[in-house]
Amino acid sequence: MKWFRGRSPVDVVGIGLVLAVAVFSLVLLVAPSIIVVIISFDTRAYVTFPPAGFTLRWYKAVFEHGELVEAMLNSLQVGLTVTVLCIVLGVPTALACVRGRFRGTTALSVFVLVPHMVPGIVLGVAVLFAGALVGVSPSIWLQSISITVFILAVMVRTVQSRLMRLDPALEEAAANLRATPFQSLRTVTFPLLMPAILAGAVFTFVEGFDNLSVAIFTHGFRDRPLPVELLALVQYTSSPIVAAVSGVQIVLAIAALVIVSMSIGLDKVNE
Amino acid sequence: MAEAAIHRRITPPGFGEQVADALLSGRGIWPAVPAIVVLTVVAVIPFAILLSLGFSDFEMSRGAIISQTFSFSHLTNALTDPLYWITFQRSMNLALSTTALCLLFGYPVAYLFLTGGPWTKRLILVLTIAPLLTSGIVRTYAWLVILGGRGVLNSALLQAGLIDQALRIMNTHWAVLIGMVQIHLPVMILPLIAVMSRHDSRLVEASENLGASRIGTLRTVILPLSVPGIGTGSALVFTLTYTTFVVPQILGGGNYLNAATMIYEQVVFSLEWSKGSVSSLILMVTCLMVLVAIALLTNHFTKWTKGHDA
Repeated sequence: MKWFRGRSPVDVVGIGLVLAVAVFSLVLLVAPSIIVVIISFDTRAYVTFPPAGFTLRWYKAVFEHGELVEAMLNSLQVGLTVTVLCIVLGVPTALACVRGRFRGTTALSVFVLVPHMVPGIVLGVAVLFAGALVGVSPSIWLQSISITVFILAVMVRTVQSRLMRLDPALEEAAANLRATPFQSLRTVTFPLLMPAILAGAVFTFVEGFDNLSVAIFTHGFRDRPLPVELLALVQYTSSPIVAAVSGVQIVLAIAALVIVSMSIGLDKVNE
Repeated sequence: MAEAAIHRRITPPGFGEQVADALLSGRGIWPAVPAIVVLTVVAVIPFAILLSLGFSDFEMSRGAIISQTFSFSHLTNALTDPLYWITFQRSMNLALSTTALCLLFGYPVAYLFLTGGPWTKRLILVLTIAPLLTSGIVRTYAWLVILGGRGVLNSALLQAGLIDQALRIMNTHWAVLIGMVQIHLPVMILPLIAVMSRHDSRLVEASENLGASRIGTLRTVILPLSVPGIGTGSALVFTLTYTTFVVPQILGGGNYLNAATMIYEQVVFSLEWSKGSVSSLILMVTCLMVLVAIALLTNHFTKWTKGHDA
């Protein structure tokens, strides 16, 4: 314990306290997930602790639960639609924000942020009402486009921050070699932006897959997304089937983490 | 590679590329136009409609508004209804206390990140980012398992002989608060880490070389410099917690009415458009007021540090 040496008791106690809280918080972050994973292998049909035995039946039950599987597929579709729309709409917008030579680039960046700053439920209610007035009823498509609008800012911000750190000399070199703007975009800028787009894609997909606040007002009556289905399941049953869903999600989250850390690095996530 | 580049240069561009060039070389607003159109149709116009519904009396027939007159009546009805005050106050209290507790528990983690080695940093990043990639409902369910009557906490305390009968934590304010803090903790930690890792590490070294204790350095150097991170983290946590319904619904036992649950009931169950619009607008405006307050405070304390620099 070398750094205790030569320090005043107040300092040791003070920093010790800060570090103790830090360790407590880190345990608090991870412990519930570990407990849920343990529960998901329990043989008993109601939630108790400690578990009585080991079984995979809850995982089997998840995939035999028709509504749950359908909800998962719906959310998968929403997640993918949101991701594709965010790439198609967001990447060019980021280019315009950073490379544009028109008045109002800042205004454009702020404009894109606005729907993200508004609480999700307010956006959900607004889209539901506006849709009803023009005859668009809630559906998986209304849900997808609403979540896209809500989360687009994340894609734009991720690509924007990467774009601002790119060396402009690379694009100038391409122009000097007589590449057309499109060629330079395709062969120089775009490959360099790929990691940021991939990271943005992970976050927009997760939002599309998991969003409840916007989805609860805009989802189709028959196409219930996973969060809506899960909320009902958690509220009205106590079987460990939700724990098994958690187990599946944790595995997916680890996969997503690996993708993000390999594409832009974990430490770049919130820039 | 070089040959390919030369080849590409001498190939005349196709029509598609010519159009793309025209759009890109102007460095104009064109690439952003699709996004602007979508945001206008799916966000700006709906907000305008929400606003008009909240501030008017209207008659509907077959899903269309047939007459609409400007009116403050829905707003005044809401503001004189004690249920609104109680509900919004409850949401506000819950959100503010969650934000404060997240800061209290999150800040030390960010400090550990700043002072820790590469493996500590990596561990902290994994533990804070991973939860954000899993569903909030699933993470709330974990607290159902822990705090329930026959849950982990009660089993442990009973077995240890610390209590004689199971504690009733579920469906109380405490269950909601615990769940809210744990679920939103990563949202507070990430901005703190982002701001702290931009610090010039020589400032901390200089402070310690000048004989400041670690606590002294934390208080006089690290804390003032991390004010922008505290601001961003608090704003994010507040917005999320003020407008959530997952945790209150699940851990509050369904009868814990907060602003979000009230709006949901007005809009989805009782189909009261005017009430739903007004409640949404009140939610948005009150949320914005707190965000402005947070921004002003952040600005004030940031200026204070800048003054010390000079």
